[in-house]
Amino acid sequence: MNQWLDERLHISRLNDKFLRKAFPVHHSFFLGEITLFSLIILILTGILLALSYEPSNSMVVNSFDPGTADKPNLIPAAYHSALKINAMPFGDMLRRIHHWTANIMVAAAVIHMMRVYFTGAYKKPREINWWVGMLLLIFTAFTAVTGYALPYDNYAYNTLKVIYSIAASLPWVGEWVSQAAFAGKFPGDGLIPRVYGYHIMLLPGILLALTAAHMLIMIKQKHTQPQYAKRIAYKKIVGVPLMTQQTPIMLALTLLFAGIVVLFSAFIPVHPVEFFGPPSTTPIDNIKPDWYLLWIFGVLAIIPSFEIHFLGGVINSEFVGAIVVPTIALLAMFAVPMLDRSRDNLYYAENPTNYPVRLGLGVAFMALLIVWSVAGYKPELISAGILSNANANAVLWIATFLVPALCYFAVQAIVRGIRSLREADARDRANFQAADD
Amino acid sequence: MTRYKRQDPEITRRKFINVAMGTTAAVGGVSLLSTLGAANPVFRLTANKMPPQAGDILVHAQESKEGQPIRIADLGPQLVRAWPQGKDENGDPVIRKGDPNNILALYRFPKGQLVAPTNLDATIDGETVAYSDICTHAGCSVGDSDINAGEMKCPCHSGQYDPKRGCIVIGGPPPRPLAQLPIKLEGDNLVVTGFFLTYPYPYTNENEWESIKKEVEAQRT
Repeated sequence: MNQWLDERLHISRLNDKFLRKAFPVHHSFFLGEITLFSLIILILTGILLALSYEPSNSMVVNSFDPGTADKPNLIPAAYHSALKINAMPFGDMLRRIHHWTANIMVAAAVIHMMRVYFTGAYKKPREINWWVGMLLLIFTAFTAVTGYALPYDNYAYNTLKVIYSIAASLPWVGEWVSQAAFAGKFPGDGLIPRVYGYHIMLLPGILLALTAAHMLIMIKQKHTQPQYAKRIAYKKIVGVPLMTQQTPIMLALTLLFAGIVVLFSAFIPVHPVEFFGPPSTTPIDNIKPDWYLLWIFGVLAIIPSFEIHFLGGVINSEFVGAIVVPTIALLAMFAVPMLDRSRDNLYYAENPTNYPVRLGLGVAFMALLIVWSVAGYKPELISAGILSNANANAVLWIATFLVPALCYFAVQAIVRGIRSLREADARDRANFQAADD
Repeated sequence: MTRYKRQDPEITRRKFINVAMGTTAAVGGVSLLSTLGAANPVFRLTANKMPPQAGDILVHAQESKEGQPIRIADLGPQLVRAWPQGKDENGDPVIRKGDPNNILALYRFPKGQLVAPTNLDATIDGETVAYSDICTHAGCSVGDSDINAGEMKCPCHSGQYDPKRGCIVIGGPPPRPLAQLPIKLEGDNLVVTGFFLTYPYPYTNENEWESIKKEVEAQRT
């Protein structure tokens, strides 16, 4: 059969080109794979969910609690179908697996990018793949957000309303953009069909295309080599081939990962639609976005209010907090390869402690995002008595500048310590050898 | 280098194809852009989407009592949510909840507690007051504060308002106070006597608000 296939599909060429691709043997290289497996699990569970989901915000009678003939209990069809999915065998489980995997996909992508950043793997010739990766991260976040709008419970409704209003806060074009994006004035009749289209067609399509590009570029450019490869075979690709060595490792990882996700889903509920109830005018106390958007939420919570009327447009705190600040943060991440002045191709992953400035800046950036995420808990901090209404903003703004700066200098100090220890080791070794001679 | 560029007397095949392809791509691109227009459906200002206006009565918005007219006795220093209820083209009552931004917050405080900048002429006896319940920041529905009694707090980005002082912003990111709605008592019903005194969410300036008011007036006559 091999020969039959080979004569038609030239399997041996495929084998030489792709299936023999060498994978570095180091656990930090699994992070990208976990992101990829998450995407696959998301697509599979997403298809199953789509089979039972009704993308419509028209009102239907709640079949679980129909009310009376003259006063029927009407709820949006999308919310109703979410209730029905929960009532299916393993339906709730399916939703939880989908939701948990989405969270893990973002987490794995973020940690994967941290690995790439701290080891300098974004450097020439891999700048393009860093940018493709950034786009993947952004579109993953968009996909996640449109996803948790779909059950159309009160939580989703409030989330959508805020996203709509963030889009509408763009100066001059905001109103038009938000209406075009969300099918008319909020909540238009076409709202859920529109978001559904984004979530199951447009965004997954973009994600798949970007993932394909990401992988092809990675195969073409090869992985960066871990440091040990430099010692055992300088300037040679070291690793295990995709077929047949890496494949079982990947399979084992997939199964382990899927097992963990299922375990999570079995015991830790996410997004309980029954708890939030159908869309209503009653706000949810202390509603929060998912963890990866909490920093934007935090910025909005501590930004002072202002409104500048400029040439007929309005520039307000919402636009600055929810669009300008995140854009600057993302642009800074996009700019990472351009700030690097090395002209040579990078083959080996760098030791982060050899690049203390880069390490410090990366840690400071993450510290900043963490401070802002904590700011997202401002109401809780005030309720708990840790901060007061009067000082909350001031304290959180001081932390915004102070904590990243402290982190940066702490990293410098620690790196210096590590280096002096390393140098002492080297001296000892030299002395030892001298004594031997 | 010569200063003169050689001119081809005839158009080359390559050039023709390039121009033809470029034109096709441009026309195609522009026509694709036109589909973006279709993404934004036409807005029709129907009775259920109009902002609260003179003559509307206020009805409960809470799910269990939705549609029941609000009585003065139902109100107190705790927030009560209300919808304006008007008449549609046929004169049938219609709750204006087609636009969720029409949700209202009602309070009734002991005499003397409501102070400026609340417009006391637009309240009932200087006790009962109605505001837009939509946060001027990101459009969430505002509730009673769980931290400081007597204040209002938006759950979305913790904007805070003081309902006794014209719902001015006392914390958080909202740019403007909640808009006050003028009301009066007519029999047992709470009746709206006019438009919001200032522009409510989602309007960002006076002009937009004025134009929607004009549109509503035009449809009433």
